[in-house]
Amino acid sequence: MDATVTPLRVALVGVPNCGKTALFNRLTGSRQKVANYPGVTVERREGERVAADGRVLRVLDLPGTYSLNPTTLDEAITRDVLLGRLVDAPSPELVVCVVDAVHLPIGLRLVLEVKRLGLPMVLALNRMDVAKRRGVKIDAARLAQELGVAVLPTVAVRRGGADTLIDAIESAKWAGHRGLSSPAWQETTAEDAEQFQSDLRGILAAVGYAPPADNDLGKRVDVVLLHPLGGLLVLAVIMFLMFQAVFSWAEAPMDLIERAMAALGAWVGAHLPAGALSSLLVNGVIAGAGSVLVFLPQIILLFFFILALEDSGYLPRAAYVLDRWMGFVGLSGRAFIPLLSSHACAIPGIMAARTIPNWRDRLTTIMIAPLMTCSARIPVYTLLISAMIPNRAIGWFNLRGLIMFGLYVGGILSALLVAFVMKQFAGKRQYSPLMLELPDFQWPHGGNLLLGLWERVKIFMNRVGGIILALMIVLWFLSTYPAPPLDATGPAIQYSFAGKLGALLEHVFRPIGFNWQISIALVPGLAAREVAVGALGTVYAMSAAGDDLSSQLQPVIASGWSLATACSLIAWYVFAPQCLSTLAVVKRETNSWRYPLIMAGYLFALAYIAAFITYRVVAAWA
Amino acid sequence: MFQEILVGLIVIAAFAACVWKLMPARRRLRALVALDAWAARRPALAEFRERSLRPRIAKAVGSGCAGCAANVGVRPHHRPR
Repeated sequence: MDATVTPLRVALVGVPNCGKTALFNRLTGSRQKVANYPGVTVERREGERVAADGRVLRVLDLPGTYSLNPTTLDEAITRDVLLGRLVDAPSPELVVCVVDAVHLPIGLRLVLEVKRLGLPMVLALNRMDVAKRRGVKIDAARLAQELGVAVLPTVAVRRGGADTLIDAIESAKWAGHRGLSSPAWQETTAEDAEQFQSDLRGILAAVGYAPPADNDLGKRVDVVLLHPLGGLLVLAVIMFLMFQAVFSWAEAPMDLIERAMAALGAWVGAHLPAGALSSLLVNGVIAGAGSVLVFLPQIILLFFFILALEDSGYLPRAAYVLDRWMGFVGLSGRAFIPLLSSHACAIPGIMAARTIPNWRDRLTTIMIAPLMTCSARIPVYTLLISAMIPNRAIGWFNLRGLIMFGLYVGGILSALLVAFVMKQFAGKRQYSPLMLELPDFQWPHGGNLLLGLWERVKIFMNRVGGIILALMIVLWFLSTYPAPPLDATGPAIQYSFAGKLGALLEHVFRPIGFNWQISIALVPGLAAREVAVGALGTVYAMSAAGDDLSSQLQPVIASGWSLATACSLIAWYVFAPQCLSTLAVVKRETNSWRYPLIMAGYLFALAYIAAFITYRVVAAWA
Repeated sequence: MFQEILVGLIVIAAFAACVWKLMPARRRLRALVALDAWAARRPALAEFRERSLRPRIAKAVGSGCAGCAANVGVRPHHRPR
């Protein structure tokens, strides 16, 4: 590839949830997240495609928008990219307008608006398979004639479903558009809007558009799912069953991984001569990173359910049901998707808050996003629950699953409480109604599900093999050196750098029941929450002074910690912002240091107070 | 003695990896670009630039925070059909 040749830019534009990202993945071979709800893409993404003749095409996946008059930040990105307003980013050489064929009228209005910009354009009539199945009639040739652009049927989720589009893009005559500095555009006036509507009606009549046949089953299901109380009940039951399954089904594979790690530690210890290398591998790498790896099955199960819900089209319905309740605490239903995304990781959740048009609502959503129970907390919660809570059934339910569900609910309730308090300080709220397009129900796509799970496994394994492993090695060094004096009486770690740091921090954390081992683990845990589990594994392995601890962290905690200490640590982790990346993203999204500092301050204060109260109450009660 | 040297090297590498991973994305990109400019003056490093550095820079520019679920899995180069 000749690096000096500027790649040709192809932009994918369309209304939310019409399949742009699926097409982007098809065109570039990427694996960007796709889901059956609007607002998945909130910033432009770029990928490259090398055409058959060697030309490099830079494909841009833009956030969905209903119009070029933006109401939210993500919509503004789409307009600015098309108009070439971004630094170092001229307007694209070709625009691919993506329209959901099932709901042609919704997407066609944007097509008319984009066409007016005068950029070279083709139209991808996506989801043609579903459209045919549901009896939608569109004369594609006539549509092309009416619009004056090529119209290409696509099925983005199917292999080969975008071949005609790819051929059209690769063989397109790339006109001398580069000479234009920026296409002419002005805000749509009321007259323009009327004109668009009139044109739209004319085109729909000309192409013989027949809307999809009513989905009676979908309507009947919606009566229940969108009912103010029934919908809420269904949501609670779904969440509850999800966490029950996560705890019950993951037990066997977790045991297997745990035993494999213990066996590996024993094998390495037996085959390497005693010394620094053996200690590093057994106590640092295997005990540290291995104790985090154990939680992989739970993470896979949790994301299996979340991805299935995403693909089915249920999530926007949940947002609709929650809108009224979220309104009581000063949030809009639009905050639901960002907050739900935060259960995977707060970072995409905070970025997804760009879809919220009102700045005050957006800021509140950003500030409470870290309170949602992200997947990094799962190892911490699971470790402590498994160590301290007996594995018994209460009726049909598993007690540990109930506690886990309670922690998730606790995170959500505390987020709502914080939002309510913020509402009191923020003054009167500007009313912004929730306008959400409900997607059709569909069976979760097996390929999407597997791909999504594979991505989650890769993220988790990258973290275990990357930052967690590196931090564990550094922590092993800090826990090993300097070596203890000859007349030492306690475990060697007490004389090390980490031991001294732990002793110092213990003064701060003793009132909330944390011992020096926990205090040490909190420090590397600042990088990412689950690192604290690995750090506990390493610190306890080092504290054991030669005992065969390896990855058997649970029994050590069960016998060494009081119930009050374990509960206090759980309470700490419900609130504490142990994730520097989250704070960095808040700085970027709010363009100010003020909000990440406020966030870190209030979350640490809440964590300390909650842990203090929990410790005192449980200690008095137990 | 060999064990101590090996362990020392592993710890130094782990420390460098921690610093790199915890560095803000923008600073990491700037460091990669600076490294690329330095390597450009050394013909012996041409292959390293093409194979290792360029894709990393492209990924850092195109996908922002690589540790984030929203941006994982971008493959910037796609072979022709």
